[in-house]
Amino acid sequence: MGKDLVQTAEKIISVRGLAKRFGSKQIWNDLNLDVQRGEILAVVGGSGQGKSVLLRVITGLVEPDAGSIQIFGRDVSKLSPEETVDMESRWGVLFQDGALFSSLTVLQNIQVPMREHLDLPQVIMDELAFLKLAMVGLRPEAAHNYPSELSGGMRKRAGLARALSLDPEIVFLDEPTAGLDPIGASEFDNLIRKLQQTLGLTVYMVTHDLDSIFTVCDRVAVLADQTVVRTGAPEELRKNPDHPWIRDYFCGERARAATA
Amino acid sequence: MLKRDQGVVLPTSVRVPGFRVELEGTVFRLEATGSWTVHEAANLDSALKRLQVPIPPTPDFTGEVDVSSIAELDTAGAWLLQRTADRWRTKGLATTFSGATRDFAILIEEVERRSEQERPQTKSEGGFSRFLVDASRTMSGVWQDARMLTAFLGAVTDTFGRIIMQPSRFRMLSFIHHVDHAGLRAVAIISLICLLIGAVVMQQAAVQLQAFGAEIFSVNMLGILALREVGVLLTAIMVAGRSASAFTAEIGSMKMREEIDAMRTLGIDPMETLVAPRILALIVALPLLTFIGDMMCLVGGGMMAIAYLGLDIATYVDVLHSVVDFRHFMAGMVKAPFAALIIGLVGCLEGLKVEGSADSLGFHVTSAVVKAIFLVIVFDAIFAMFLSAIGI
Ligand SMILES: Nc1ncnc2c1ncn2[C@@H]1O[C@H](COP(=O)(O)OP(=O)(O)OP(=O)(O)O)[C@@H](O)[C@H]1O
Ligand SMILES: [Mg+2]
Repeated sequence: MGKDLVQTAEKIISVRGLAKRFGSKQIWNDLNLDVQRGEILAVVGGSGQGKSVLLRVITGLVEPDAGSIQIFGRDVSKLSPEETVDMESRWGVLFQDGALFSSLTVLQNIQVPMREHLDLPQVIMDELAFLKLAMVGLRPEAAHNYPSELSGGMRKRAGLARALSLDPEIVFLDEPTAGLDPIGASEFDNLIRKLQQTLGLTVYMVTHDLDSIFTVCDRVAVLADQTVVRTGAPEELRKNPDHPWIRDYFCGERARAATA
Repeated sequence: MLKRDQGVVLPTSVRVPGFRVELEGTVFRLEATGSWTVHEAANLDSALKRLQVPIPPTPDFTGEVDVSSIAELDTAGAWLLQRTADRWRTKGLATTFSGATRDFAILIEEVERRSEQERPQTKSEGGFSRFLVDASRTMSGVWQDARMLTAFLGAVTDTFGRIIMQPSRFRMLSFIHHVDHAGLRAVAIISLICLLIGAVVMQQAAVQLQAFGAEIFSVNMLGILALREVGVLLTAIMVAGRSASAFTAEIGSMKMREEIDAMRTLGIDPMETLVAPRILALIVALPLLTFIGDMMCLVGGGMMAIAYLGLDIATYVDVLHSVVDFRHFMAGMVKAPFAALIIGLVGCLEGLKVEGSADSLGFHVTSAVVKAIFLVIVFDAIFAMFLSAIGI
């Protein structure tokens, strides 16, 4: 079948010349960022540098002031509403606190995207939801709990299961390991790596966690001075930090502990 | 979703999912083709259900699931294949997978491992027993509510006692804020409603009494009705609708976000900071609003008297003056602070009962308004009977 296949660029997300300001505050200016298919990209930067805003802009929750965003090779600003909905079913987002729907059980939460986008029999949705639950490492007993009855770490896992509900190609994670204990955090890192391998995911992850960066991330993009100042493998940035913030971040006390 | 060839866009013809089963020697082979993803899962599921499980004539027949022609595979597709293979196995057909790329094999194996987990059973009850359970829960809920409200009244009294002993603990700013929100900002709507209802009562009374040539008595009726009942009741119901719901929503959303727990750990008493200023603000605001409501009822009635009965202002005021007594006015006014207490208690208590979910918040806001209005009316009826029994 090789002949009827069309080769596409390896870039799954491509951001060009992005700018955004809130009132008089310029968040970033002329920001460029590429995400390759199948990689785990960490976006790091100081507090308030606009990492969360960038995630929201890429996922279409916030309009940028200028610039273009291409996902799956399509310019997202030029899509019809139906195409946008179709696109949205090809990525999943894990918000910082899970953002589970509080009036639904965990199982129902996982089934929300299936209900919205597909027309599946209830039996299959149940089976698939239990499968997703098991894949993110939650016990089946948690299925009938409400989000308020779960711990923070379990809520994150349940949020991840919902993000994976439709087997997306990209998942966006906003500080997935923040607020987890070190053991829970490293389990979560392994989980992300494992899922990335089994499901062929591309992972876009906002994080502050040096351990995650050095254990699971393929590439790091550093947000500083209102733009992406550097991208590269974590080791590379650590060996050759040519920006004051990168030096502080990758060569500080904690970084030495993480890489020791 | 995994693709057989990463980084390529598949033309539609390759994506159409399907499968066929054929017998080759002693091997039943299920050859799956196209795109086995969650988007196709419903169709594939019903097609697979129609598929007869092959029955091996002798034990040396085996099964094989050939995935070499699958273009795209995801968890749902892998699960469907896995389920089919399982069904074959239970019929005594040793079934294996073939033709999987490394990625596909990892996914299929993972799905197989994960789908073996036990499921908790959810038990569902029949219609009638569910009805009985609901009914008994509702009835015991009424009793629970009464108990909690009484206990809460005690807690609030205790808090007031402490505030009186140590006036510095009183949250003046919060109190003023709530007087503004529950009182001042309700003036316009309460005035309007009382004006209209006063006019309607006057007009209806005049129509009925005209038949006896006694239409002038409609002024008596309006005067006494407005001051004793209508003014205070309308005001209390409006305030219950506006403020009980607001109190529940405010306190409830703080409860949801663990703010109340945070206050407790910081040594701040939520009864003192949240509940007491709200209830006190209502106790001050409701009598004032009632007074405005009373006056607007009389104004509305007066306008109708002038328009309908052809009285002039001076006569209307004279008639009112001769029938309406201070005790009528007081019989209405004395109920206002108690109604305020009921509304405040119900609103705050329902707020504190809110649990983690958005559903629970909505439920308690609704029940705060319903309970507050219900209790205010019951209380008003009891008071009316009591006052007329002692001759006021
Ligand atoms: N809706 C908004 N309106 C106005 N300003 C906003 C809005 N959203 C974000 N900001 C501002 O944009 C800046 C970047 O915020 P953002 O949440 O992206 O930071 P961040 O890099 O994610 O920080 P952190 O690491 O602390 O999460 C902040 O200064 C914030 O005040
Ligand atoms: Mg953030």
